[in-house]
Amino acid sequence: MFEKKAPRRRVVLTGLAALAAARTARAFGDVGAFNPRVVVTGGKRLSGPRSTGPASWSMELINRTSAPARLTPREVSLDRPELCNEPFAIWAGESDVGSLSVAERRGLSKFIRLGGVLVVDDSDPAQGSFGRSVRRELLRVLPESPPVRLDASHVLYKTFYIVDRPVGRVLGPPTIDAIVRGKNAQVLLLSHDLLGALARSDEGSYSLATEPSSYDQRQHAMRFAVNIAMYVLCSDYKDDQVHAPFLMRRRAQAR
Amino acid sequence: MIERGFGVAEGVSAALLWSLSALLLAWVALLVLESRSRRVSPWIVLSGVVTGLLLAAAVLRPTRVTTRGTDLFPKVVVLLDRSWRLDLKAGDQTREKVAFEALHALQKQLKQTRLEVLGFGEGAPKPFVESQAAAGERPTDSDLTAALRSLSAAPGERPKALVVISDGRLTSPSEAVTAAGLKELAGRLGVPIHTLKVADSAPPDASIRKVATTGAAVAHQKLVLQLTVGCSGGLACDELPITVEELLHGEPPASLASGTAKVRDGVATVELPFTLDRAGRRLVRVRLDVPEGDRVPENNQRLLTFDVTRERVRLLHVAGRPTYDVRALRMWLKADESIDLIAFFILRTTSDNMQADDSELALIPFPVDELFTEHLPSFDAVILQDIDAVEYKLERHLPALARYVRAGGGLIMVGGPSAFMGGGYSGSPLAEVLPVTLPDRDAAPPLDMASFEPRVTQAGRAAPALRGVRELLGERLPQMLGSNTLGPLRPGAISLWEHPDRRAGKDPMPMLALGDSGDGRAIALGVDGTHLLQWSELGERSAGRAYGALWEGLVGWLMRDPRYESARLELTHECRAGAPAALNITRLPGAAVDVKVSLERLGEATASPPRPLPLRMEGDVETATLQLGVLTEGGYTATVHIGNAPPARFDFACESGGPAFADSRPDGALLERISKESGGVSLRAAEAASLQAPPPTHVESQRVVAPLLPAWVWALLAASGIGAHWYARRRAGLL
Repeated sequence: MFEKKAPRRRVVLTGLAALAAARTARAFGDVGAFNPRVVVTGGKRLSGPRSTGPASWSMELINRTSAPARLTPREVSLDRPELCNEPFAIWAGESDVGSLSVAERRGLSKFIRLGGVLVVDDSDPAQGSFGRSVRRELLRVLPESPPVRLDASHVLYKTFYIVDRPVGRVLGPPTIDAIVRGKNAQVLLLSHDLLGALARSDEGSYSLATEPSSYDQRQHAMRFAVNIAMYVLCSDYKDDQVHAPFLMRRRAQAR
Repeated sequence: MIERGFGVAEGVSAALLWSLSALLLAWVALLVLESRSRRVSPWIVLSGVVTGLLLAAAVLRPTRVTTRGTDLFPKVVVLLDRSWRLDLKAGDQTREKVAFEALHALQKQLKQTRLEVLGFGEGAPKPFVESQAAAGERPTDSDLTAALRSLSAAPGERPKALVVISDGRLTSPSEAVTAAGLKELAGRLGVPIHTLKVADSAPPDASIRKVATTGAAVAHQKLVLQLTVGCSGGLACDELPITVEELLHGEPPASLASGTAKVRDGVATVELPFTLDRAGRRLVRVRLDVPEGDRVPENNQRLLTFDVTRERVRLLHVAGRPTYDVRALRMWLKADESIDLIAFFILRTTSDNMQADDSELALIPFPVDELFTEHLPSFDAVILQDIDAVEYKLERHLPALARYVRAGGGLIMVGGPSAFMGGGYSGSPLAEVLPVTLPDRDAAPPLDMASFEPRVTQAGRAAPALRGVRELLGERLPQMLGSNTLGPLRPGAISLWEHPDRRAGKDPMPMLALGDSGDGRAIALGVDGTHLLQWSELGERSAGRAYGALWEGLVGWLMRDPRYESARLELTHECRAGAPAALNITRLPGAAVDVKVSLERLGEATASPPRPLPLRMEGDVETATLQLGVLTEGGYTATVHIGNAPPARFDFACESGGPAFADSRPDGALLERISKESGGVSLRAAEAASLQAPPPTHVESQRVVAPLLPAWVWALLAASGIGAHWYARRRAGLL
């Protein structure tokens, strides 16, 4: 029912295309733009309504923040050198990814060791086979870095919006597991179908209903997506001491 | 010369000699007592004495000693005080002149000696030649202790006497030395130390006698300057104002602290706390406002050089929007433990629709006013990355930011659509401190969209700041997706990367340029994709290390890290106003290059035109000495261009008086104490002619020892004597 209360979308995908054209015209400034590239493994591509999720993610980021973003994100294979051309990728799916090839494992290892951030988004968290298979493969690639649970005070929850928990199309668990290397959470393991929450149809409406159906939940999912993008772009900027007193006041007000 | 004498046989020890003497005396005493008590004949006593002597002679076996030799003039060492301080007046002439006159008188008076004249100051004394005195380098100190230690440790003939010519204001021993200390010092050589005092009375003078600081100079941390002010020679002193200023390049001196010295009993101590914000060599001038009648103006101010270190480099990173380029720079800066990073990123614009209340946002207002007024001096460098000066109200702070750079701060402007011309910096005061000019907004498009690979310039190949990138990637650089429009280089600036197609005036457009501005440094980077040194196929070749190498070099150069300077510069000796100064230039080994050195005065609002000093360093020459000529008192900066490499800079001070003139009072009492402890005499310089020469030194060339009689004769005589004495006693009925 909350879905029906959704306000008129300021931006629809047709508008996105025009905006995309305007943004790409400034190619100079876009070399460092947020680009949610979708990982392809073993020939398995992201298909269906969620394939619009990355573009929608970029759009939300552009509309809500000062960050530039690519509105036509590309796919990238783990075994291709292009994986290491940018520091971010999202790996989404709903079924077992199977066993990664040696080249894919090598490519993924190189990406992570170079400092890249990978979001693993389970599109079917109820079944969980995608998430489990990715964890299995990550353990083979990074055996020294098992996933750990991120604390509720992690910077991911305050990089732009102050959020209490991860949210996607499904409410999912209230915490995130992540592979942390050094001080940086480099692999975020989501069980919330984030791309599902962001996916839109050609008409601009949301492709998939949230579970439970809620306008607020979708808003929170978008905020969380924006926070992830800001984490990718600014790392732990909001953990800087200069922000601490301000954020403490904000959290106190929210209570 | 022949000398004759007597001795005893070899092998007779002093103990034996003394023992025999004692026995003989005891024997004679017994004889005398016996003669009185028993009324014995004097002949018996006489024979007893003779017998004793003959027995002694039989043991000692007397010899005749004949020596041939010569009398040499005694060696006398004159230690002449060579400190600058002797340029102070003693009456109408300098103390040095008085010292020279005393030396001349001494040379006449001590003709019957071998006179060696040494100059003392710092370390071992050096031979003094008066004709070369004017050309030689003069020490600040008067270290008599070091000179005496050196003489006592030297092999060869010891002098018979020392003559010290000085005003007595010695660095060591100081006036506070104890009698025991002086005795130990004088006893090292074991010869009398005569002293000649070149000055009797102190001139009317108020001076900065001593300067000390508590702890090392660290940027942004308070430093306490402890000053001792003295007033002597009958000058009336009460309260003397003191100012402390930093000498800057192209700027009037910046006030650091001020205070008042309240003189009591001729002395005052003052503590003046101040803070130096910039690391590196900093020149500080301390000035004492003296009363009328002061006769020694040279010691009314001191020029102090502080090598200011920093605990951590404090950087302000301001970015107009978050991008991968911002991310890469932030992550590199944060990973460096030596950097204290303060970052502000613009995360939303006024046109953004956050779809949330402010209370749901983790955003804080950009404290632009606070940052660029109150906190600006606390940063060692500022990085402006793709931020619009107009939109984010930075524009009104650009004059202060330009002043900050000229005063010694660092600046890096990183490219992007909102940097340089695109950010409203054209025509701003900040544009004037950048190493490149910025065209007017209407004169050229602010950006160019064409992809290109930056080209490394000759200077880029020579620059130590890019050495790391060169070692990892050679001359290859990643493809950039466009560039900012930058104008020609400013005078003195260097382009390390240039655009292969675009031009700025007649030359290729600089894409990475470095330059000095006043006391600070600035870098202009006209691209927004240096993160591609990490995140590209080219970057992957170096496992992303090329990115860190680039920024380490750039920030290191900005912070004057010696590793990224093209040359190491140092004075050959302390610079003294009015005396020739010279600079040692050490460069990395390489091909022959032309070296251009320019010299400018510090602390002047209108920078004096640099004085160019050309030099050529051949291929195998790593260090060259450049004569700077005779300089007047003040602070100077020497800028050295070695070939195409970015310039290196060296700041130094030339003082008229310096620490040598700090205390103008002569200390005749100390010289008198030294003479007294060593058994010498202390005279006024004018009385040098009355100094007595020590006795000559006799040097033996031949020595002949012959026995007076053979040993068996002495034994026979002794036996005969014993027999005769026994017979006489028997006849007298004493046996």
